[in-house]
Amino acid sequence: MGRYIIRRVLQAIPLLFFLTIGMFLLIHLLPGGPEAVLFNPRMTAAARANLRAQMGLDDPLFIQYFKWLTSALTFNFGYSFATSESVAAVIARHFPPTLELFGTALSLALVLAVTLGMIAAVRQGTMTDYGLTVLSYFGIAMPVFLLGLLAQDIFGVWLGWFPTSGTSSLGYTLTPFQALLDNLQHLFLPMMVLSIAFSAGWSRYMRSSMIEVVKQDYMRTARAKGVASTSLLLRHGLRNAVIPLITVVAIDFGAVAGGATITEGIFGWPGMGLLFIDSLDRRDYPVLLALLMIGAVFVIAFNLIADILYAVMDPRIRYS
Amino acid sequence: MDISEQLNSANVTVDEVEPFLEVAPALVQKRRSQGRIIFDRFLRNRVAIGGALFLFLLLIFCFFGPLFWRIDPTQNNVLSVSATLAPPSLAHPFGTDDVGRDTLARAMAGGRVSLSVGLLSMLLAIVFGIGIGSFAGFYGGAVDNVLMRFTDVILAVPLYLLLFVLSASFSDGTPKSVIFLIAIFGWTYAARLVRGEFLALKEREFVLASRTIGARDFRLMFRHMLPNAAGPIIVNATLLIGINIILESVLSYFGFGIKEPDASWGSMITVGQGIFDTDPWLVLVPAFLIFFTVLSFNLVGDGLRDALDPYMTER
Repeated sequence: MGRYIIRRVLQAIPLLFFLTIGMFLLIHLLPGGPEAVLFNPRMTAAARANLRAQMGLDDPLFIQYFKWLTSALTFNFGYSFATSESVAAVIARHFPPTLELFGTALSLALVLAVTLGMIAAVRQGTMTDYGLTVLSYFGIAMPVFLLGLLAQDIFGVWLGWFPTSGTSSLGYTLTPFQALLDNLQHLFLPMMVLSIAFSAGWSRYMRSSMIEVVKQDYMRTARAKGVASTSLLLRHGLRNAVIPLITVVAIDFGAVAGGATITEGIFGWPGMGLLFIDSLDRRDYPVLLALLMIGAVFVIAFNLIADILYAVMDPRIRYS
Repeated sequence: MDISEQLNSANVTVDEVEPFLEVAPALVQKRRSQGRIIFDRFLRNRVAIGGALFLFLLLIFCFFGPLFWRIDPTQNNVLSVSATLAPPSLAHPFGTDDVGRDTLARAMAGGRVSLSVGLLSMLLAIVFGIGIGSFAGFYGGAVDNVLMRFTDVILAVPLYLLLFVLSASFSDGTPKSVIFLIAIFGWTYAARLVRGEFLALKEREFVLASRTIGARDFRLMFRHMLPNAAGPIIVNATLLIGINIILESVLSYFGFGIKEPDASWGSMITVGQGIFDTDPWLVLVPAFLIFFTVLSFNLVGDGLRDALDPYMTER
C-alpha cells in the first residue's frame, strides 16, 4: 500500500505539469483578453501598450508560459491583473471562508446521508422509505438558488433568525467568542442549503448499496449471534456498503477549491466560487491559472484518498 | 465448445426437465432467460410500474399535449399589461411568463427538449462511464492508471471555463451537440463508481468461480460483475437526468442548444429566477415537472435494481 501511494504521488507530478499547459492554453483561448475588460476605454494607445507590456501579454505564449512556470516553481504565482495584489494573497483571503463553508456543510451532509440512507435501506418498501425518497428527490430537483432564496426569505427575513449574507456583522466591536458566534450565525443558512443539496444525492447511494448488504448471509449470522442492530449496521454493514459513497463524496470534496458558486453568490459568502467567477469575468489570467491548478491538486488528492479508503474499508482490494 | 458452455447450454437441461413436465406439469417452472427473469420481476414491482406509468403520462403530456392545447408556446403578447405575468386562470392554467407566453404550452414544448436531452445525454454518459470504469477496475495496473488519470483531468477542468472558451468558436450548437457536450462532463462519476465496485467485486469468490470454469474477461465483466454493480449505476443515472436538464439551461445561456423563444424546463427556471418573489409559478411549474421526472425515474430505477439483484428472493 505504501508503495502504491508513493507511486500515485509521483504520478501526480507529470499529470500536474501536463495540466498547467492545458489550463494555460484554455485560459488564453478565452474570448476577449484582460485588456478588453480592465483597461480604461479613454486610455491612450501608448498607456495601453505600456500596461500590456507590464502584464507580460506581449511575449509569445510559450515565453509567457515559461515565465509563469519558473516563478510558480518557486511558489510565486504572479500578481492579479485586476487588483495588483499577489495571487497568493488573493487566494489566502478567499480560501478560508470556502473551507469553513464546505468543511462544515459536507461533514453535515455526510452524517445526514449515512443516517438517512441507512434508515431508508433498513425500512425498504415502507412509508418511511418512500417518505425519505420523495424528500431527497425534492432536494435533488429543487434548484440550489431556489433553496437559497427560500431559506433567506423564511429564516432570514420572515422569522429573522439568521443573517442573510456575508460572513460577519459589520460595525460592532465583539469579543473573540462573540465574533465566533456571529460568524457561525452567518454560516448557518448557506451551510444548511449546501448540505441539503449534497446529502440528497449521497443518501441515495448509501440506501442503494446498504439494501444489498443487509441481505447478505454474514449480516444474518451476525444478527443471529446477537450483535445489536445499530452496531451491526455501523460496524458490519457500513464497511461493505460504503465504497460508492466514498467515490462520490471524494469527487464532491475535490471540488472544494472551486467553491460553491451559486450558494456563495446568493449568501454573499466571499469564497473561491465567487473569486473564480469574478476572475473569469475579468480575464484575470494569473488568479485564474492559480485557481485551476489548486483545483486540480484537490481533485487528484481526493481521488487518491478515495482509493486508499477503498482498501481500508475492504481489505480484499489490492492495487498490485 | 468447452465444458462450461455445454453445461450452460439449453439442450442439456431441457432433456432433464421434460420427464417431470409429463408427471406434474404444475411443479415445473418454465425455463426463462436471464433477461426474462429480470423483466418478470420488474413487472411484479407495483411501485416501479407506477413510476413507469407516470413517466409514460409525462411523455404523452409533452409530445401529444400540444394536439389538445393549441396555444403557440412561442407566441408572446407584450401589448397588454394584463397578459404578461398573468396568474393561473382558465385561459392560462399555469399563467403566463414575462412576455405573455402561455406557461402550459411552454411546459409541453420545453419538456420535449428537456426530456430528450436529459435522457440521451444520461445514456451516453453512463455507457461511456461503464466502459472506462469497468476496464480500469477489472484490469487494474497500468490500464487503471491511464484511464483514471484521464478521468482526473476531466474532473479538474471546470465546466464554466470550457463553456466560455467554446462559446467563442461555436455560436449555433444543435441539440445534438448539447447532448454530447453534457455527456462529456457527465461520465466521470459513473466511471469512478463502476471502477470502485469492480475493484471490490473482482476479489469475490463468484468471480474466481466463473473464471475457474473458463469464463473469459468480457463475460466476467459484463455478465457477472456489472449486474452486481447495478445499484450505484442506477442511482447515478437517475441523478444525472435531473442534473442534465438543469445543465441544458446553463448551456443555452452560453449560446448552445435551444434559444429563445423556444422553451426548455431549465431555461423556464432561469427566466423565473429573478422574479420568484412576485411570480413563483414561473419557477415552480418547471421545477415540479423536473421533480416528478426524476422521482419516477428513480422508482423505475429502484425496481430495475431490485430485479437485477441476485439476492432478491422471488415470492
